[in-house]
Amino acid sequence: MSTDNKIDRKEAIKRAGLLLGGVVFAPNILGVLNGCTATPGDWTPTLFSNDQARLVSALADVILPADDSPAASELGVPKFIETMVVEVYSDVQQAEFLEGLNKFADDYRTDIEAEFADGFDIDKYDFTYFQNRLAIEEDPARNPFFLSFKELTLLGYFTSEVGASEVLRYQAVPGSYEGCIPYEDVGNTWATD
Amino acid sequence: MNLNIKAQDANTYDAIVVGTGISGGWSAKELTENGLNTLVLERGRDVKHVEDYPTATLDPWELPRANQIPAEERKHYQKQMRTGFTIRESTKHWWIKDTDQPYEEKKRFDWIRGYHVGGRSIMWGRQSYRLSPMDFEANTKDGVGVDWPVRYEDIAPWYSHVEKFAGISGEALGLPQLPDSEFLPPMNLNCVEKELRKSMNEEFGRVLTIGRNANLTQPHNGRGKCMYRNLCSRGCPYGGYFSSNASTLPAAAATGNMTLRPHSIVNAVIYDEETGKASGVQVVDEQSGEMYEYYARVIFLNASTVGSTAIMLNSKSDRFPNGLGNDSGELGHNMMDHHFRVGANGVYEGMEDQYYWGRRPTGFYIPRYRNLNGNDRNYIRGFGYQGGASREGWERGVRELAIGSELKNLVSAPGKWTLGMTAFGEMLPDHSNRMWLNYDETDKWGQPVIAFDVEFKENEYKMREDMKNDAAEMFEAMGLSNITTFDDPGAPGLGIHEMGTARMGRDPNTSVLNGWNQVHSVPNVFVTDGSCMTSAACQNPSLTYMAFSARAANYAAEQLKKGDL
Repeated sequence: MSTDNKIDRKEAIKRAGLLLGGVVFAPNILGVLNGCTATPGDWTPTLFSNDQARLVSALADVILPADDSPAASELGVPKFIETMVVEVYSDVQQAEFLEGLNKFADDYRTDIEAEFADGFDIDKYDFTYFQNRLAIEEDPARNPFFLSFKELTLLGYFTSEVGASEVLRYQAVPGSYEGCIPYEDVGNTWATD
Repeated sequence: MNLNIKAQDANTYDAIVVGTGISGGWSAKELTENGLNTLVLERGRDVKHVEDYPTATLDPWELPRANQIPAEERKHYQKQMRTGFTIRESTKHWWIKDTDQPYEEKKRFDWIRGYHVGGRSIMWGRQSYRLSPMDFEANTKDGVGVDWPVRYEDIAPWYSHVEKFAGISGEALGLPQLPDSEFLPPMNLNCVEKELRKSMNEEFGRVLTIGRNANLTQPHNGRGKCMYRNLCSRGCPYGGYFSSNASTLPAAAATGNMTLRPHSIVNAVIYDEETGKASGVQVVDEQSGEMYEYYARVIFLNASTVGSTAIMLNSKSDRFPNGLGNDSGELGHNMMDHHFRVGANGVYEGMEDQYYWGRRPTGFYIPRYRNLNGNDRNYIRGFGYQGGASREGWERGVRELAIGSELKNLVSAPGKWTLGMTAFGEMLPDHSNRMWLNYDETDKWGQPVIAFDVEFKENEYKMREDMKNDAAEMFEAMGLSNITTFDDPGAPGLGIHEMGTARMGRDPNTSVLNGWNQVHSVPNVFVTDGSCMTSAACQNPSLTYMAFSARAANYAAEQLKKGDL
């Protein structure tokens, strides 16, 4: 990975701690700092270039990182995103998505002077946090990319077996309906309505 | 000659039923149980209960693309997709491809349908409500359309008859505008729905009840109870809801009197000028394209409102140049649906320590309360609401500021309780709302293409003001926050409750069918699907089709035995 990042390791960990209470990001940051390089994972992209695929994996993992439960890329989310963009999106949506993805990479390069996929976790987090806020606060028509990406990430994650049944609660055959029970008896969001 | 007679004998039955959906299944069951040797024709493929429900038990991760179909495939379903919910990877096999089954729209008309054994009884919404005495009297009181040739008392025993077999869960309320069915135990309301029920009762004296639906809350007639998966429209492996496949067709088959012939597109009813009756039907084999004739003493058209009406319009003879039984000129006219997609949403603050178990396959129902005793609105008739409360799921995370582990933590607990409901309003019959056959265009089976010119009119649009504002007012009274209203009528057809194009009536000059669903001028042809409806009421109509079908089939069997048909 690139060595000319602008903040050092110590600073990165400190900033992560400020943002998240120091709990969940540290192992991941250390992983990156120890020289791991994000790869597209166990899938051969068909639409995305290798760089785009690495960006998709890295961004999905910033949105849903590894902590008590697996990261998005560990549950096949990057491949899912590509499948949706290739098979479900219309031609116009697909072009918008790719344009948005490239602009995201460019903006990161401009701001942080690095490739997103090779960036420090803290930089990636800050940048993504900002992009998310911008997308939510702006007219969604102006920036369709980020929320589309986030939606696909969540959709792929929570319709996966682990996402649905371990991070959320899934019951294939509930057998009965109870309209009012203590939340603790369920313990998580239902994966399906 | 000899051979022909033999062929004719082999193709001759006591009765023919055209269609296997909700009404056709009932006609088949009642006719066969009366000992009639019955041919049941279905234009689409066979669907056997359980074994032909390929997606019924798939988990979310077993469906590609999170249950969405590819863009390439969407081209085939451009009209079927207008509902927004019909075409999924898990359900697409139940709906026709518009590219195979074209129709014409002078104005947008959403004709949403599936061609296979069981028809839309597999995918229906299962909401089951009786029409009331008031509904059967409405047309004559208001001077709209024609009078129903029957009253509630005529139909009530047949509602009971079909309910006892089908299994309808619900709560008895004793309301005159929404008579009780023969109920299985009701499903439960959840906490927030109970709050709305209380508030509506206290603030407005209005009633909220659990949806009355054809899902079993206990084992019933050999079918298993609902397991609360809420995957009904994939087909239920437990038989937990009423469909022709799970219920009426097995009963008909068990008599030994049913011959089921899939892939049989009925082209026309054959009219015999000598006897003044129908002698049979012409069938185009969907696969081979060959034409066959089948004969019977009595014919039931249950091909759905549009399907049965199209068959009649296409059944031309010297006696009926404008379609079988169309002396009145009303055949194809007076198309109705329900108008809906108008109501409100809101957020309930609190009860965040409460949740629910299971996926209930129904919502709540608010029976009609407008114009019950005289008319005090600027429109006639009324509407009911269907809705539900639930806690927000992971989807809300998309628009949250959180990302990372914070986002995961956030969405792994449910969000606030939200409430939403849409009204379903009555649409009046109007002669100008019609369908017809365009002989300049034919489909790949040589059938003329069906064309529609149907629109909502003034009474519907005036009613929608109340439908929207009342919803917001009731939510405000309950103290909801973030109340938003919506009003998007879409187009007629979207309710998938097409009705009225071969209406019942007392006068052969203004209606197509009599009080027994018989074609006025061709007494051995019965039409008991939605096309018979003289008015629409605001209730979901399928239960009424069941009752009319059972009643007419028993009447027909009786008349045959007496030699009167």
